Amino acid sequence: MVDFSLTPDQESLRELARKFARSEMAPRAAEVDRTGRFPEEIYRKAWELGLMNLNVPAEFGGTGLGLFDQCLIVEELAYACAGMTTSIIANCLALEPILLGATPEQKERWLRPFCADYHLASFCLTEPSGGSDAAALKTRARRSGDDYLLTGEKCFITNAPHAALFTVFATLDPALRHKGITAFVVPRDAVGLVPGREEEKMGHRASATSTVRFDEVRVPAADRLGAEGEGFSLAMRTLDQTRTPIGAMATGISQAALDLAARYALQRTTFGKPIAEHQAIQAKLATMAQQLTASRLLTWLAAWTIDGGARGTLESSIAKCFSSDAALRVADEAIQTFGGYGYMKEYPVEKLLRDAKLTQIYEGANEIQRIVTARELLKRYA
Amino acid sequence: MEIAVCVKPVPDPDTRLRASPDQRTLDPEGVKYVLAGYDESAVEQGLLLREQIPGSAVRAFAFGPAPRAPEILRSCLALGCDSATHVAANEPVDDPLVVAAALGTVLGSRPADLILVGKQALDDEEGLVAPALGALLDRPSFSSVTDLRWSPDRARFSFRRSTEVEVERWEAPPPLVLGLQQAWNDPRTAKLPNVLKARRMPIESVPAAPGAAAGRSVPLRFDLPAPRAGARMIEYSTPAEAAERLVRILREEAKVFP
Ligand SMILES: Cc1cc2nc3c(=O)[nH]c(=O)nc-3n(C[C@H](O)[C@H](O)[C@H](O)COP(=O)(O)OP(=O)(O)OC[C@H]3O[C@@H](n4cnc5c(N)ncnc54)[C@H](O)[C@@H]3O)c2cc1C
Repeated sequence: MVDFSLTPDQESLRELARKFARSEMAPRAAEVDRTGRFPEEIYRKAWELGLMNLNVPAEFGGTGLGLFDQCLIVEELAYACAGMTTSIIANCLALEPILLGATPEQKERWLRPFCADYHLASFCLTEPSGGSDAAALKTRARRSGDDYLLTGEKCFITNAPHAALFTVFATLDPALRHKGITAFVVPRDAVGLVPGREEEKMGHRASATSTVRFDEVRVPAADRLGAEGEGFSLAMRTLDQTRTPIGAMATGISQAALDLAARYALQRTTFGKPIAEHQAIQAKLATMAQQLTASRLLTWLAAWTIDGGARGTLESSIAKCFSSDAALRVADEAIQTFGGYGYMKEYPVEKLLRDAKLTQIYEGANEIQRIVTARELLKRYA
Repeated sequence: MEIAVCVKPVPDPDTRLRASPDQRTLDPEGVKYVLAGYDESAVEQGLLLREQIPGSAVRAFAFGPAPRAPEILRSCLALGCDSATHVAANEPVDDPLVVAAALGTVLGSRPADLILVGKQALDDEEGLVAPALGALLDRPSFSSVTDLRWSPDRARFSFRRSTEVEVERWEAPPPLVLGLQQAWNDPRTAKLPNVLKARRMPIESVPAAPGAAAGRSVPLRFDLPAPRAGARMIEYSTPAEAAERLVRILREEAKVFP
């Protein structure tokens, strides 16, 4: 039977996330957006409350939530600040390959100490020469006795300047394309691992993004994730898990945009009445509400599908792509509803547009999501 | 040491409040009931004392109807209370003497060394439960308590009472009933795993003693405060502070942005 109601557990975790988002994150969002400061005190508090390593099972010190529950939390956090949310959930992205591909001994060795304290991790896939075509990555892993030597450069890596642990995808031989890609776990103190300068970004300014250089970084074979050549599949299976929460993030941005626009429309008067009484504005709000509701339901469907044990590639690519496109439109209409004030940094709506934009790009750009969706779809007709 | 903390479910100030159709009470429709205000301080204080005094237990009690009373007891368990007891009422009761009688009957049969309550409830702010409990249980009671500490060598509590005009320092041995103004620390926030764990913990339910509702006062009329009009001055010492306060007011009260 279809049932859209949340369980009491889900109500409680959503409430906790909402309280944290509105009392801790929201009051700092504008300042951090302006300055680009990395608000580590907020991330530390998120970790303390159990809002950080959501996908890591409790036996390793994480929160151990399913994807649906993660999405409930991510939507609430993103409502207050999508940029901080990016940094908070980057740990889930970076740790997912370990959850999927590590041996029990490796999980014990990496996850437990990592989760026992406040630490950040980075997922290193994208490179300056390309992100969408992950099979073409150039960072090399050369065998050297019992070790590997990693050499190359990653870019746009979330949290890299502050991370303690890096999951890194490198190739044994570029000619092998995806069959050569192998995953490694590398600690920050590995000699030759150098995060670059923080990028100045359009949005998500609370989150830090930088390059990471690998200069003959020695990695013991015991720190390889899975077998040689399994890295590509590990990366894809990771993204199958983590793109749905991007749908939830986009939904949170849309909800914030609609709330602001509706409240403003009831207050602002033109031609003798609140603009909410002008049909053009009502149509905007109605369309925003449609986009928002569809985003949330598609995200819930994808999360529910994956929690049920299916891979959910079709559902998650639809959810991520639709919700992020919707967030951009909803944020845009919120600005339009605010008129000139919407264009001013003093009001919170223009930030939503800048933040929404990223959700169309990262964790697989929407062009790639459409390719994935079509491929999954056509399989069913072939 | 056995520490009992009594808490009251109060309307979440963030939910939309309105009067009931008969204009006698708050309309509970759509209102969320939460642990809030001085009651949070009382729980925090109990937990801090437990950390300081080995072998202590903090037991939470709430009087009122389900589901609101068990809900806030779940919050107490999530924060770390050892047990929770729901003193069940069929309907909401605000009359502080009735509340004290219902709680007092249960607490009378479970002697606690220390009974903590918020100095007043966030909603009706009557501040009578602590003194009434003290009278019913024949124990000394104090209200507006801050800075509560336990001195093991003297087997006494020390605390302050802050009033509009003075600060009193007190020392007293258990058993005591205290109405908390403030804990030593800001109340902690429950962690997510504990919130989920608390959902699986048992909540004992005992019926309120018959006759607990006798003699209760009847509200004549209930109105929400009229929205205040006119200007409002922001006090500040630096421009940065002025701006921060203004932003907080715009965000939290005027709700101009989230
Ligand atoms: C703020 C931020 C944080 C990020 N965090 C991380 C991180 O933590 N870890 C990480 O590994 N990466 C991260 N990324 C990288 C992100 O995932 C990539 O930017 C994204 O995958 C796109 O890769 P690209 O930028 O190289 O664009 P390209 O791959 O060069 O693509 C350029 C454009 O061409 C389109 N395109 C590409 N191929 C096709 C095709 N076959 N058909 C049609 N269109 C196509 C793309 O959709 C895009 O519009 C982050 C990016 C940003 C901006």
